[in-house]
Amino acid sequence: MKRSFSPVAVGVAPVLLALLVTSLIIIIAGAQPLEVFLAIINGSFGTAIKISDTFVVWVSLAICSAGLLVTFRAGQWNIGVEGQIVLGAIGAVWATRLFEGGAPALVISTMLLLGMIAGALWGVLVGLLKIYGGVNEIFGGLGLNFVATSMTIYLISGPWKPEGTSSVSASKLLPNEIWLPTLEGLRVSPVSIVLALIVIVLVFLALRGTIWGLELKAVGQNDRSAFVLGVPTQRILLSAYTVCGICAGLVGAILVAGVRHQLVVNISAGYGFFSILIVLLSGFTAVWSPLIAFFFAALGIGGTALRLGLDLDSSLSGVLQGVLVVSFELVQGIRQKWFGGDN
Amino acid sequence: MKKINVSVVLVLLMAWLAACTGGGEVSTPPEEAAEETVVEEPVEEEAMEEEAMEEEAMEEEAMEEEAMEEEASGEPYTIGLVMVGPRDDRGWNQAHWEGMEYVLENVPNTELVWFDKLNPADNPDLTVEQVVDDLVAQGAEFIITNSAEMADGTNIAAANHPDVFFIHASGDDALTGDAPANVSNVMGQMEFGKMIAGCAAAMASETGQIAYLGPLIDAETRRLVNSSYLGALHCWETVRGNDPADLDFEVVWIGFWFNIPGVTLDPTQVVNDFIDGGADVVISGIDTTEAVVVSGQRAAAGDNVFAVPYDFTGACEEAPDICLGVPYFNWGPDYVRLIEAAMNDSWSQEWIWSPPDWTDINNPDTSAIGWVSGNGLSADAQTAIDDLVAGLADGSLNLYTGPLNYQDGTEFVADGATASDDQIWYTEQLLEGIEGVSE
Amino acid sequence: MKVTLSHIHKRFGAVHANNDISINVEGGTIFGLLGENGAGKSTLMKVLSGFFAADSGEIKLNDQVVSLSSPADALEKGIGMLHQDPLDVPPMRLLENFMMGVRGFLQPRRTAESSFRELCQAFDFDLDPHAFVHDLSVGERQQLEIVRLLWLGVETLILDEPTTGISAPQKEKLFATLHQLAADGKSIIFVSHKLEDVEVLCSEVAVLRQGVLVGQQNAPIDPAGLVKMMFVQEVNLEERLNVDLGSTFLQVQDATMSDLRLKMEGVTLDVKAGEVIGLAGLEGSGQQLLMQACAGLHRIDKGAIVVGGQTLSGRPYQEWLNAGVAFMPADRMAEGLVPGLSIAEHHVLTRYRRDQEQDKKTIDWPLFRKHSQEKITEFNIKGFVDSTVESLSGGNQQRALLSLLPKKLRLLIMEHPTRGLDIESVLYIWGKLLKRRQDGTAIIFSSADLDEVFQYSDRIVVCFGGQITAVLNTSETSVEQLGYLIAGKQPPADLREENV
Repeated sequence: MKRSFSPVAVGVAPVLLALLVTSLIIIIAGAQPLEVFLAIINGSFGTAIKISDTFVVWVSLAICSAGLLVTFRAGQWNIGVEGQIVLGAIGAVWATRLFEGGAPALVISTMLLLGMIAGALWGVLVGLLKIYGGVNEIFGGLGLNFVATSMTIYLISGPWKPEGTSSVSASKLLPNEIWLPTLEGLRVSPVSIVLALIVIVLVFLALRGTIWGLELKAVGQNDRSAFVLGVPTQRILLSAYTVCGICAGLVGAILVAGVRHQLVVNISAGYGFFSILIVLLSGFTAVWSPLIAFFFAALGIGGTALRLGLDLDSSLSGVLQGVLVVSFELVQGIRQKWFGGDN
Repeated sequence: MKKINVSVVLVLLMAWLAACTGGGEVSTPPEEAAEETVVEEPVEEEAMEEEAMEEEAMEEEAMEEEAMEEEASGEPYTIGLVMVGPRDDRGWNQAHWEGMEYVLENVPNTELVWFDKLNPADNPDLTVEQVVDDLVAQGAEFIITNSAEMADGTNIAAANHPDVFFIHASGDDALTGDAPANVSNVMGQMEFGKMIAGCAAAMASETGQIAYLGPLIDAETRRLVNSSYLGALHCWETVRGNDPADLDFEVVWIGFWFNIPGVTLDPTQVVNDFIDGGADVVISGIDTTEAVVVSGQRAAAGDNVFAVPYDFTGACEEAPDICLGVPYFNWGPDYVRLIEAAMNDSWSQEWIWSPPDWTDINNPDTSAIGWVSGNGLSADAQTAIDDLVAGLADGSLNLYTGPLNYQDGTEFVADGATASDDQIWYTEQLLEGIEGVSE
Repeated sequence: MKVTLSHIHKRFGAVHANNDISINVEGGTIFGLLGENGAGKSTLMKVLSGFFAADSGEIKLNDQVVSLSSPADALEKGIGMLHQDPLDVPPMRLLENFMMGVRGFLQPRRTAESSFRELCQAFDFDLDPHAFVHDLSVGERQQLEIVRLLWLGVETLILDEPTTGISAPQKEKLFATLHQLAADGKSIIFVSHKLEDVEVLCSEVAVLRQGVLVGQQNAPIDPAGLVKMMFVQEVNLEERLNVDLGSTFLQVQDATMSDLRLKMEGVTLDVKAGEVIGLAGLEGSGQQLLMQACAGLHRIDKGAIVVGGQTLSGRPYQEWLNAGVAFMPADRMAEGLVPGLSIAEHHVLTRYRRDQEQDKKTIDWPLFRKHSQEKITEFNIKGFVDSTVESLSGGNQQRALLSLLPKKLRLLIMEHPTRGLDIESVLYIWGKLLKRRQDGTAIIFSSADLDEVFQYSDRIVVCFGGQITAVLNTSETSVEQLGYLIAGKQPPADLREENV
């Protein structure tokens, strides 16, 4: 589907287009585009803390987009990834309750493990709904996202309500020992970066060199043909959802163990949706999506710095992201419509 | 199929992006660009002069000297404010915003940096720590966070910045010992405001059906519902001479502090349901203004309904004629006290549950909570409220006097006894007689 | 309106879909256009309804030469087409659907509604303008589309396979409507591969085969003659081979199978190892369903299918594959090959799954590239190891599919194995197939080419209207006799006696 172009070539045009459109918007908003872009760059790379914060976001986006590459390879729009992250977070917090006071290394590993299991279950549920219930994965996923959020609210205002405080909107803050260890003075955990790199490499290798990866592709391209050729398509679909769910669950667990240290509403923070955009932008490639994820992470962190000296809304960086995606789709669409792209 | 999917998904994603960047205003027109931090001008000269005249002579000298010194060195004291919602929400956040304006007027040589809409709907990927880092980078030496869910984040940030002083409004970690020493808590004794609200509701209700629009369920929200109920019961029974059995007091919890579409109940819908179900007064317990707005719309459409909003002095302006009044927070005085303590190196960690000034609950310089009557309040009701306040003020009246039972029949306050502050702060259930869930 | 098409040519790449076709449809008549799938009927009608332009040729409406730039343009000139597939519709009310395509925005709803009701009354259609379109049956959607097109002022109505998927009473209603429209002076073009429909409805019939107009008839229609025109191809194929047949390998035992359009009951069939069974019949008579069921791709409702002594009906498809069953579909890119995957990738897929090397997890690419290159050479595929299958021509796609067949093959089921292929590929492919048969592989295939059926089958199974109506020994059957059976008629007595 996306073979015949290099992401670099087709990647540059939308970025230029997006910069142009955003510049226009910034000028209309009454500011200097260059100043704004510098503010974003400064806001995401200006200090060690900012760089480390960018990496914190990158870990989530990179792992999540790696998972989404798998479901996209199988032709699935796993919108439910957001809920899978939430379930991962719930699983991780649950682990801390099961092993309260256990050895930190044990508790942290259990958090990651339970997070992955919970995310996988939530992912498989989307797949089962699709295969046996005939529910389109987009709608199934959206529905389960809502269920996941409601579950969070139920848990933090019900069974997991912190004791001894009068007012709740998050579960109990986890003790320091079971936070993922961070670099001194920074918020980023080397463990999570290593985990992200491992996931990226594994997904890259799996998609490229394994039978399973090829079967995913076959199912994604034409599941009927794949079935006739002997590929167990349902099992492959479910495995894709499982793997994506594991990745998303890992993200949720890292958000708990390394970022939030408690369960809060909307802990997934839209990372799942951003990751979908990232994978789209990367042209469904495992090499490009981590890099684009980094770009998005920088935009996200830099965006909040827009107020530094500039009287601008930080959501402008969200506008930039949105414009970027639309520009990409536009350039793609124009290419295919007018220059005979392969579709 | 794939094509269709692409467009469906893009539409969904765009809608979501729009939702994220558009912010969560419910009924406030987005006049101001949201989420930005603005560096306020150092205190205006006019304010300075006024300020100076009000001060007592002794202090005046000392302060002026200090201020002169500070001004000479060009370093105003920077205060950071982190708000959960938009600063112009006519509710909780605007009350804090105005409290901060009070600080700027009354403490010389202070300036403000602020960040609003730090909540899971508008800024899900930001943590309190990150925002605090940014504010400290802006020079903030004193930071106020204003929402319950910021408790843990505030503690972590405070540990990271031991030189910065923090107020976490509405929390109790300074009481429980979970907070570092540079964090204090402030909360107004809104119980009394809610009692007045309940009384106003009971005086206005013809059907005897009062509805309470609750946020999520915790000890704070339960005690406020209970206080409203006790106020209503008092005026219903003692002032109007009605049978308590005819008072129907219902609470519906929407599930969070404000509307999150698809997740919480929609407060607009809940208020409509209240009115359709026969309630003729709606008391609000949530951060946003749906109760008064929707009631205003329904009244304009011919329904006989009143509302009691919450949090902010100006909340009645949404629908003045059907507004019975509003119990509000007045954060300024406590903020001034703590900030001055920090500036003067006399900070000590405190958990402050600040009572109203019973000599004048609406004194802007002394009372932590107050009540503003609305156009909808009748003269009789005003009298009842005045009597209630007088009774509470001189101690002749304590609505938390037993016998009071919880919903499940267990005893909360024994016959003849009165509830302690601790008992009230950690209220475990709704009171017997209230419809709605306690857990 | 009189419609004249002269010397229409239309090519899609190598395929000459319409080759010099000329037809003339008078106003007030119902004109039948007959042919198997892929014969070029739909292409011709899409040219006439403005979907695409002909490469050359001329369209005249009432003797005026016109050019039709789009379906909307054709509609404006009075040509409306009723499509075969009930299009996916959004949740829309009938009236809203009815008003689609109207020029200008200010069409008052009330006028539209009264017109709608009048039209429905005129044709005795029972349609509620405020019902939802997606609740309608296929037949009702047709009725809706007919009144819509008429309201838009259509003078020539094209119906593409309109009797597929509708009930018998709806069909009757449709035919009555068409007669009524013809009586009003409209011209109707009725595209179908169903002889029985054409026979009762049309005053004139033209038959297309492989893009060429092969014959025309006026009413009264002679079905057997039409069958011959549709199916018989003047190609000389090689000599029949006689092979000793083994024991029974496939048994279909009193099976019931059904899909949305067709139900087959009481199907019984035995196939011996090494035997070749040709399925003959008009499209949609049940051959496809039968083959999919025998391949394990369609679950039967009742009865049993026994493969090599094992009852496999109701078992997962993987077990059928393990039993040595393979299927080659008519629509190669939809049900056989995976577009976007290369030849080598196909070999990896089939090799690991079908040939039970399932314990392997990673791909030995050098090995597979070598293996694929060998297959490409062996099957004379014009393509490379890394060529994606959609870049291959039809014949090479079919060769690629053949090259994917497992070594251990016991039953091969093929839909239209040589459709659309050049004669060289046809001969090559049958050569490969017959070699398989000598190894004891049973073959079941369907074909629209009766000569192919006669040439290669040991027995011919005739399907008509969802039933197996005859099982014939090829050596005892004539093309004429088969023609009658395919058309659902009994052959005249003299023909039958001749062969006994």
